Amino acid sequence: MSDEEHHFESKADAGASKTYPQQAGTIRKNGYIVIKARPCKVVEVSTSKTGKHGHAKCHFVGIDIFNGKKLEDIVPSSHNCDVPHVNRADYQLIDISEDGFVSLLTENGNTKDDLKLPTDENLLSQIKDGFAEGKELVVTVMSAMGEEQICALKDIGSKN
Amino acid sequence: MGLPREFHEQCRTSLELNYLKTFYFWARDAALSVTNKIIESDAVIPEVKVCTAALRLMLQILNWEFRHDTNSTKASINVFSAVVRHDNASSKRSECVLVQPGPAWCDVLISSGHVGWLLGLYAALRQKFSCKGYWLDCPIAVSARKLIVQFCSLTGSIFASDNGKMQENHMLQLLSGILQWIDPPDVVSKAIEEGKCESEMLDGCRALLSIATVTTHFVFDQLLKAIRPFGTLTLLSTLMCEVVKVLMTNNTDEETWSWEARDILLDTWTILLVPMDGSGGNALLPPEGKHAAANIFAMIVESELKVASASVANDDGDSDYLQASISAMDERLSSYALIARAAIDITIPLLTRHFSERFVRLDQGRGIIDPTETLEELYSLLLITGHVLADEGDGETPLVPTAIQTDFVDIVEAEKHPVVVLSASIIRFAEQSMDPEVRATVFSPRLMEAVIWFLARWSHTYLMPLEESKCHLSHGYDHQHQSIHSRKALLSFFGEHNQGQIVLNIIVRISTMTLMSYPGEKDLQGLTCHHLLHTLVRRKNICHKLVSLDSWRDLANAFINEKVLFLLSSANQRSLAQTLVLSASGLRNSEASNQYVRGLMVHMTTYLVELSNKKNLKSVAQQPDIIMSVSCFLERLRGAASAAEPRTQRAVYEMGISVMNPVLLLLEVYKHESAVIYLLLKFIVDWVDGQISYLEAQETASVIDFCMRLLQLYSSHNIGKISISLSSTLLSEAKTEKYKDLRALLQLLSSLCSKDLVDFSSDSIEVEGTNISQVVYFGLHIVTPLISLELLKYPKLCHDYFSLLSHILEVYPETFAQLNSDAFAHIVGTLDFGLHHQDLEVVNMCLGALKALASYHYRKMCAGKTGLGSHAAGHGNFPEGIFSRFLRSLLQLLLFEDYSPDLVSAAADALLPLILCEQGVYQRLGNELIERQANPMLKSRLANALHSLTSSNHLSSTLDRVNYQRFRKNLNSLLIEVRGFLRTM
Repeated sequence: MSDEEHHFESKADAGASKTYPQQAGTIRKNGYIVIKARPCKVVEVSTSKTGKHGHAKCHFVGIDIFNGKKLEDIVPSSHNCDVPHVNRADYQLIDISEDGFVSLLTENGNTKDDLKLPTDENLLSQIKDGFAEGKELVVTVMSAMGEEQICALKDIGSKN
Repeated sequence: MGLPREFHEQCRTSLELNYLKTFYFWARDAALSVTNKIIESDAVIPEVKVCTAALRLMLQILNWEFRHDTNSTKASINVFSAVVRHDNASSKRSECVLVQPGPAWCDVLISSGHVGWLLGLYAALRQKFSCKGYWLDCPIAVSARKLIVQFCSLTGSIFASDNGKMQENHMLQLLSGILQWIDPPDVVSKAIEEGKCESEMLDGCRALLSIATVTTHFVFDQLLKAIRPFGTLTLLSTLMCEVVKVLMTNNTDEETWSWEARDILLDTWTILLVPMDGSGGNALLPPEGKHAAANIFAMIVESELKVASASVANDDGDSDYLQASISAMDERLSSYALIARAAIDITIPLLTRHFSERFVRLDQGRGIIDPTETLEELYSLLLITGHVLADEGDGETPLVPTAIQTDFVDIVEAEKHPVVVLSASIIRFAEQSMDPEVRATVFSPRLMEAVIWFLARWSHTYLMPLEESKCHLSHGYDHQHQSIHSRKALLSFFGEHNQGQIVLNIIVRISTMTLMSYPGEKDLQGLTCHHLLHTLVRRKNICHKLVSLDSWRDLANAFINEKVLFLLSSANQRSLAQTLVLSASGLRNSEASNQYVRGLMVHMTTYLVELSNKKNLKSVAQQPDIIMSVSCFLERLRGAASAAEPRTQRAVYEMGISVMNPVLLLLEVYKHESAVIYLLLKFIVDWVDGQISYLEAQETASVIDFCMRLLQLYSSHNIGKISISLSSTLLSEAKTEKYKDLRALLQLLSSLCSKDLVDFSSDSIEVEGTNISQVVYFGLHIVTPLISLELLKYPKLCHDYFSLLSHILEVYPETFAQLNSDAFAHIVGTLDFGLHHQDLEVVNMCLGALKALASYHYRKMCAGKTGLGSHAAGHGNFPEGIFSRFLRSLLQLLLFEDYSPDLVSAAADALLPLILCEQGVYQRLGNELIERQANPMLKSRLANALHSLTSSNHLSSTLDRVNYQRFRKNLNSLLIEVRGFLRTM
């Protein structure tokens, strides 16, 4: 156990790190992986062998979590892959500016004004309409490897 | 075509009884009339076409599925059962259709020399193949051959009951005709390789298969002895040897004729050798047949080895294809095993020889030559030997195959028993994998997979067999004495008091090694966890030994401490935890077992508790390595939870209780991490499912309270959430995840429900126990809003949802009555949706729920109470009240819409109480229907029918069984009477 504890602490300090190494064989479907320097969500994993009596290798199909592009990679399953540190945070939406930026309320009371509205039509209209109707909206911002994007939206009731 | 089934059946019988034979006569006469001309003429004459057509027609007629005969023979089937094998034994081989036309056909087909004529015709045709216009595959030759093969599968009561003499003669006649096609085998196969067409030879093989299907191996073998110095089995064996030889020399991936011939002949062997009545006894072959079997098996092994070493060269480009062919290969291997067991005393030493040759080759060549070919050969040998030595369990503990138990008569010393020698040599070989150096050069992951597979299959049968003790009891007669002795020697050799424990120790150490030293080899580790280790803990007596072994303790320690084992894939992780917890049943008493489980799991729970107490949990938790550890431990907890037995229930319960708070906290921090959420939910589902029936009232209350908090938390995270992604794949993934989560939640509710049905707790009933029904309704209330109509398109989810719904409506209608109007409306809405669902089951469940509700309401009303009260009366959204609403929609459904006839009785059961509840509404609806009918005749028909629905058959206004039955009949007749014209209007 003490071993495990140590492992845990040391990583906690390295919180700023963007990616972590992880054995390819342990990366599962629905997990994350870095392929060609892009953070991806794994949608398919299959294993095969290099030659009849060789070692296993993993074939990953991932989808870039920011731009939706499909990427593939093959890695020997005992080797390490990079796994991105994907963070999601909820913010309350306080304003939408004319130039397409949003203003968000952080937990400690500051505002975060550096995010643009999403390009996705559906989400965009949901946010704009909801905001115009005076609904109280919470947006989820996903960040990984230095990029950020609004990825989800939740209506927590109308303003009184 | 609009006519009832009976009519078609009658047509069929009439054709079979009255006309089929006449047609056959015509065809035969037509063929007969031109036969001489064809035989006499050297060139192709128009008559050939006539004859071909006639032959085809005869073949078609014989392909008819004769029914009449099978019915009539049922009574007298035993008369010649010595020869005729029953349908069920041979029907496994669907490719071989039995021809059973019955006694009436005897004169045409058998006694009139018909077969002789046909064989004569074909023999004459064979002479002509050199002439112009005739060749081996010319239409007339093909049809004649097909007809001959068809005759080979002639069986049933067409043959007189003279102990099978008549059938034997018939088959002998055929066989002597066919013999020219396949005998002598080496000449035939050489001719084919040199360019002769193979179809005649293949038809010959098919004929053998047909003959084998309708006889026993004894009769089969005897047939040829009448005309040759050897039996048919020998012919079969030499023929197949030739085929296999050809297969070996030109080994390509294409399906050549030798492939096909091999498969047909292998089927023939299987049919002959497969145990007839499931009692497991292959009848013994005569010495000559045994020899034949041994020969062919040696040939098969040689060819498989050749194929194996050749396949090394072609790389794994087609690994998908390989996966697909594994099941086909399995079937082939079990056929090989049948052949091998027919001559077991020769084949086992043969296998041992093959193994030792290769072991030596590996040993000497290490580091000098590339071992890949030998490895691949060992791989196939292991698969073949595994099949020969042991059967698959199929969930039960397989016995040592009878042939192995009985055939080694003169072996008294266990160490010299061939099976022991073979097994021991393989185990010793496997043990070498413990040496890292040897492992690196010899034990490739693929070879190790075969080793593990073999060990699992082998140990399931031979390791510490239960029979060992019983063996002492069996009293043998004198002549059996020897065989029993050798059997005992074999069984006890790997028994508890002999080598069993040593071998078990080796196996455990090898398993631990595959888990630790083959990182990332999921398939291998999966085999070890799911196959080998699971096999071991399935038997109590092995568990007893296991927990006392140091190697098992090492495995448990590695499980707790070794980081390498945290990297196992999720299913393997779970399975390993489950296996270890299950092995606790081998300990002396429940206290020790619980202590053992606690020791296994405490590290995981402490980790989760400590993690969830971190102040910076929110940021720490998102790190990939933490996510990995958490997922790993949750998988293990889930594995342990699913292994709970009465003996270890306490420890597993405490394990769950200790992580309750962490689970809720993790649910909060991982709300965006669907994979972890699913693990959390699944763990809780499995844990509750395993525990709920044991819990005392107090504990139940706290578990239920926890479940409700979990549900609420999950719901608050997900309700009203819109996820968006640029990729449609990710979107659909997200939907699937949602579906899986919800399904888990429904399962959780269902297992809570089961508390009311199965309860092992010590409290007397309902001390101050929690009201489960309220809890479940409340849970449903939380979950339902998350289930959109979109999600109900997933059949499993839909099914789970409606079965839960109908269950609680049936069992707890009174709680339903107390729901607030929103929740009530929602449930009513879903019921309405379910009624119009395509899935029969779903509609059935909804009808069941409706019946329960309406009859509850009606009974309460009769007793002067309010029943469903305000809900029934209708208000707010439903001004008409729910029962009148459902009455209307159910009638609409029954009278005007499409549905399966199977639903009518369920619908009747729901309709009766609905009508009784809302008689006024029913009257009004009926009148409306009648008024709408313009045609006066139909109008009166409808009125009468509706009237008799509620009045005929002495229908009363009570809700008892008799009355329900009457109403079902009434509804049926109503539907027959009016649905036709109502729907066409």
